[in-house]
Amino acid sequence: MGRSSTEPSTTGRCAEVAISDDVLVIGGGLAGAMAALAAAERDVRVRLVTYKQSTLRQASGLIDVLGYAPDGDGPLVDPFEALEGLPTGHPYERVGSEAVREALAFFDEVAGDAYVGDHTDANALVPTHGGTVKPTARYPTATAAGLASDNRDALLVGFETLPDFDGPLAASHLAAAGVPFDARGVTLSFPGIERDDAKVTRYAHLLERDEAVSVDDSAATVGARDALAESVDEHLEGEPRVGFPAILGDERADEVRTALGEGLGVDVFEVPMGPPSLPGMRLSDLLYDALEDAGVRVTSGVPVVDYEVDPRGSSDTPADPSAAKTSDDPARGRIDHVVVDRNGAEVPHRADQYVLATGGLVGKGVRSDREGVREPIFDCHVPHPEDRYDWFVDGVFGDQPYARFGLDVDRELRPLETDSRPTFSNLRAAGAVLGGYDFAAEKSGSGVSLATGYVAGRRASTAVIR
Amino acid sequence: MATDTEVLVLGGGSTGCGIARDLAMRGLEVTLVERGNLTDGTTGRMHGLLHSGGRYAVSDQASATECIEENEILRDIAGHCVEETGGLFVQLPDDSDDYFREKLEGCRDCNIPARVLSGREAREIEPYLTPDIERAIEVPDGAVDPFRLCVANAVDAEAHGARIETHAEVIDLLRDGADVYGVDVRHDSGPGKRRHAAPGSTEEITAEYVVNATGAWAGQIAAMADLEVAVRPSKGVMTIMNVRQVDTVINRCRPKGDADIVVPHETTAILGTTDEEVSDPDDYPEAQWEVDQVIDTLADLVPILEEARTIRSFWGVRPLYEPPGTATQDPTDITRDFFLLDHAERDGVSGLSSIVGGKFTTYRAMAEEISDHVCGKLGVDATCATAEEPLPGSENLAVLEDGMDEFGLRSPVARRSKQRLGSRASDVLETDDANPVLCACEGVTRAEVRDAIQQSGTDLNAVRIRTRASMGNCQGGFCSQLLATELHPEYDEATARSALDELFQERWKGQRHALWGEQLSQAMVTYALHATTMNRDRDPAASDGSLEYGAFDDGEVR
Amino acid sequence: MSETDHPPDDGATEDRSSDEFEPIQVFPEAEAMDLRPGADNCYKCSTCDTNCPVAEVDDEFPGPKFQGPEQWRLKRQDDHDVDESVMKCSNCMRCDSACPSEVPLSQMHNTARGEYIEERMSRFSREYLRNRLLANYRRLAPLAATFPRTANFVMGLSVTQWLGEKTLGITSERELPDFATETFREWWTERGGPAVESEAKQIAYFHGCYANYNTPEVAKALVRVYEHFGYEIMIPEQDCSGTPMFANGMLEDARRAAETNVAELAAALEDGADIVASCSSCSMSIRQEYPELFDFEGTAEVAANTWDALEYLRVHEDLEAELADASLEGDEYDEFAYHAPCHARNQGLDGQTVDVLEAIDGVEAEDVGDSCSGISGTYGWKAENYETSMKIGAAMFEHMEGAEAEQGLTECPTCSMQMGHGTGYEITHTLEILEAALVGDAGAA
Repeated sequence: MGRSSTEPSTTGRCAEVAISDDVLVIGGGLAGAMAALAAAERDVRVRLVTYKQSTLRQASGLIDVLGYAPDGDGPLVDPFEALEGLPTGHPYERVGSEAVREALAFFDEVAGDAYVGDHTDANALVPTHGGTVKPTARYPTATAAGLASDNRDALLVGFETLPDFDGPLAASHLAAAGVPFDARGVTLSFPGIERDDAKVTRYAHLLERDEAVSVDDSAATVGARDALAESVDEHLEGEPRVGFPAILGDERADEVRTALGEGLGVDVFEVPMGPPSLPGMRLSDLLYDALEDAGVRVTSGVPVVDYEVDPRGSSDTPADPSAAKTSDDPARGRIDHVVVDRNGAEVPHRADQYVLATGGLVGKGVRSDREGVREPIFDCHVPHPEDRYDWFVDGVFGDQPYARFGLDVDRELRPLETDSRPTFSNLRAAGAVLGGYDFAAEKSGSGVSLATGYVAGRRASTAVIR
Repeated sequence: MATDTEVLVLGGGSTGCGIARDLAMRGLEVTLVERGNLTDGTTGRMHGLLHSGGRYAVSDQASATECIEENEILRDIAGHCVEETGGLFVQLPDDSDDYFREKLEGCRDCNIPARVLSGREAREIEPYLTPDIERAIEVPDGAVDPFRLCVANAVDAEAHGARIETHAEVIDLLRDGADVYGVDVRHDSGPGKRRHAAPGSTEEITAEYVVNATGAWAGQIAAMADLEVAVRPSKGVMTIMNVRQVDTVINRCRPKGDADIVVPHETTAILGTTDEEVSDPDDYPEAQWEVDQVIDTLADLVPILEEARTIRSFWGVRPLYEPPGTATQDPTDITRDFFLLDHAERDGVSGLSSIVGGKFTTYRAMAEEISDHVCGKLGVDATCATAEEPLPGSENLAVLEDGMDEFGLRSPVARRSKQRLGSRASDVLETDDANPVLCACEGVTRAEVRDAIQQSGTDLNAVRIRTRASMGNCQGGFCSQLLATELHPEYDEATARSALDELFQERWKGQRHALWGEQLSQAMVTYALHATTMNRDRDPAASDGSLEYGAFDDGEVR
Repeated sequence: MSETDHPPDDGATEDRSSDEFEPIQVFPEAEAMDLRPGADNCYKCSTCDTNCPVAEVDDEFPGPKFQGPEQWRLKRQDDHDVDESVMKCSNCMRCDSACPSEVPLSQMHNTARGEYIEERMSRFSREYLRNRLLANYRRLAPLAATFPRTANFVMGLSVTQWLGEKTLGITSERELPDFATETFREWWTERGGPAVESEAKQIAYFHGCYANYNTPEVAKALVRVYEHFGYEIMIPEQDCSGTPMFANGMLEDARRAAETNVAELAAALEDGADIVASCSSCSMSIRQEYPELFDFEGTAEVAANTWDALEYLRVHEDLEAELADASLEGDEYDEFAYHAPCHARNQGLDGQTVDVLEAIDGVEAEDVGDSCSGISGTYGWKAENYETSMKIGAAMFEHMEGAEAEQGLTECPTCSMQMGHGTGYEITHTLEILEAALVGDAGAA
């Protein structure tokens, strides 16, 4: 870990009283938030510790469950049907298809009006900012009017200073993908943007606050929403819906979208974008609001750097160490507390049950160097080929071994040692820190985080109560 | 017999482009054909060192002298391709004092300015050098961008009437008895600028004289006319660091050895290299140990390298040659000098010469000598002007440096753009249109990308070597799609898409050798963006079958 | 090349013994630090940009990704043209806790800002003088505090404020803070020092400038709360923590202040005390910026043993149990709209206040969200930043007004000014609530 400090001279004096909770979730992305929310359903005290901001803010905000089978078959119309056929070790196989449905239902409840798609088991095909379509199970309300199976014609609006989304090119690409409607694109300049390198948050803020902007170099100003609607209006050729890159406001995105739609007399939708992603940020904010409402204590900005096992051993372990070990005995016993590093001061945090949801290679819950791949907090076993040149294949979109790096877990989601014994009795793992699946190829990233987060949180709180 | 061109140059590397420019400036009619992009062979796969000659000052003083002479010429005529970094030969405790003294004396003998620095002085110049350093010799090594230099030669040749055909592979060298009279080439996508999807075609190009400047591939070309050129291709690995750990060329001061140089190159530092003979310049193993060896060995000189991020590695193949019968065992001992093989003298076959051996720094002098030879063959009396005439982009550089115009860009972006474009900067960057940065790693704006597309058509790798777009730490993860977008609407969507696929795969190729730590995380970010968010890996537009949209959720609650 | 390029002595062997080299001399000044390797961690996700409160309201500022890793990576050793937009960074440091990949963003900004001041800002410009003045509040404050009534009177005159705007570029929109009639240190001396003595439990209190000169009631609250838990308190000599100096690129001033502080605090550590601070920017500065920018003897130890005042109690005492027995009656402590300062967020302390106050019967603290207050120390005092600062603060003001409470709560003095300025609410420091709950309102001196 970046800030971990091993030299005693620079380490803060040890604190005597640990901060203590029932369930401690490490990691504040989709999986961690779901785990904490699911755990907090029961009457237990839950804390979520998150170091840096999660990769959720880089994600498109779509909730994919399964778009393609591991063998590439797809796009799948019904993701749930395909869950049954997944190989052993796939995170969905570990938790079972019923749990996936429960987790989605739980998410639907948490997300409320912000997300749609729960009216059918079928996947939706959503236009991407690269121009094609992708299958997903739940999508933000902001995206709902843009579905590719909706046969209404669409105008796609891009902006000359936002090169990530090019309306005309995306429209041609959708045509090449065979969508059942005519798409047309246009590139405009965004009213009120002064610099060519303005950040997406600046665009969102202009609309969010409906800032006064001047148009056509005149001294008079109009609201940013009206100015934008006006500049789009002259390009409309009767299309009943208009798509924009996902920059239409932040907290008040609904209000912005409605205002634009009313101004133009059309349905307005957002095309999800790559990082930095407003829809990802909105989802993150939604989850953190839910965590606050659920009474989850959130500690952010500090890393968990270490742990101590309970010297008395695991409650699940036979008192007599010479007693025959079963395959279910945890190899390293029970975690007593973890150590949080606050700018050099090491603060113990104790809990009964722990959930590890620190992310994969991007979130840095899985790290690598030239010698190998590892999980940095608990040093859980990460299966990977010894030869670094077996971590990849030559085709960039080939069957990439590195994309599957992560922990093996049992059906309780406890990380497993090389000998298939659980590492600890009271540690479960969820989300991208898990291995055995290629979320990018399958389009299963958010679904796996939801399902495993939900199950890990539920099981953790159940274990506390027991 | 009327021919299509007076001189046909085979190979679009530094030698070929240098010859094309030289001859075109002398008023000859020149056509150059290149199998891939300019620089695709060895030129684009070197460490970017502009030799002071110091490296040869002990072993090969003739080369050393030639290097320092050409080094000084290139600073003048190619200022926008050269960075005057200076270089150090660094002595560590294990390195011999005798060799250090020989190196210093050798530099003096060859008129290479050289100055001894204490270890402390050397570390004041380069703080990341190891504290173990004994002392160093400072020499006027430099860094050169081989892409920019080679392209500038080609552009100037074109300006002087030459025809430059890239993506035109020689499939036959045409020989009639004892005379070579031209080639058959296969154009990937018709003649002219590259255009994906345009149908391929073949063309016979005849010439009064053919120059085989294909370097490591010279043997393969010669064989097409039943001639033998025994090139001994030797591969070397180069590893690119994400940032410049040093701003000076760092050489280890010891006799020949692998992994003994770090060259600051644009935003990066390049570690080199190894030397191992291969049989086929297109097919040789690229192995992990080679990468590990350069990092670990050079970490002795610059310890921070051990943990630093590398963004890719690549291998270059030296076009080494020695006259038949020399039979040197170790490729490191083969001379770096070049050979002009006149097949009329050598094999009794007229109309063809082959160039082998040589090194990048002296490409201009080689081109001059070969051009003199060609002119002699054709009975043309014209003198060489390449040592005086600046390359396009390198005229009036002093004016540019004084100019404060930042073209509405942030200072570092304006600075880097001006360094790349040289005196063309205002032509390219002055625009009333929105000009966002497309490649944030390297600070490349839309205007510069569009300028490159104007030059090279739909080939985004050609755009890359002109602008450096996609050569930074994300290796095209974030900008490759933006570059492809700039092809539209001039070129259609399918063309933009296949150009993107090609660039994206090319960027992956080198990254495979850097897949751990930060670059593995980067690769995963890129994969997630392109596969998860954009679904580029399973794009229905790219599949044959049609998709049944009606079966999916259309948003209607039923 | 001339003969002078050749060294006078070819042997050069005499150099070889003189190589006892201290790496510290390689980077003598913070503004000369080479942070390019820090760009290695960046994978361009732009999470930092989405957390930048300035880029959101002003597109002249290109965001931390450009300002940090991109600008550094594009730099060659002898390039000194740091983009002027670095002066628009407010030093809120939110990018630090945002980055999922450990890029040293604020260190990069601080260093670039120092270099910009060094290389590109005229020493005689109005901007330089004004920034120097704001950065060195600590030097002016003692004067004002000597004659507080005069200072308060003079600063309150609108002509003075107008002159401030015209001649110095300090906004006239804000009211300058009042100075206390008795500084905290004067009170401490008057009181005769610590009221509790203990071998085992000692703390050294870094009160910072503001609690000394402007809000001694906060500092007194800390004293009473810690004495309640049986701590012996030391008040070491101290200079400004450096926060305003970093933000203004005045790294030399910051270095001098830090040198004093590290020496004094290290001595207190030697004596067995831990260090606590009541101002979240002071603790941030000592914990993070000192080790990133300086390497005086003891910097790392001081950083590792400095705590936020509430955090320290929470970890070392059973604060929750103690508070469970306390209750606060009456409207005065009823409900608070709590703003977590960015610099507390950066230390992982953003959830702490609400967590702790939950335990006190009769007190409600409602978190008003994770937006930045916008003032960022001296940033919002500059006339050219005032509007940006208020735009950034708009979300916080709205959330404060939307909350039930009619008064505000925070741990940062300048956030407190901004909260009051934007809403007209009274703003309290968390330690004052703890004091009331544990010691009683009029805690005996």
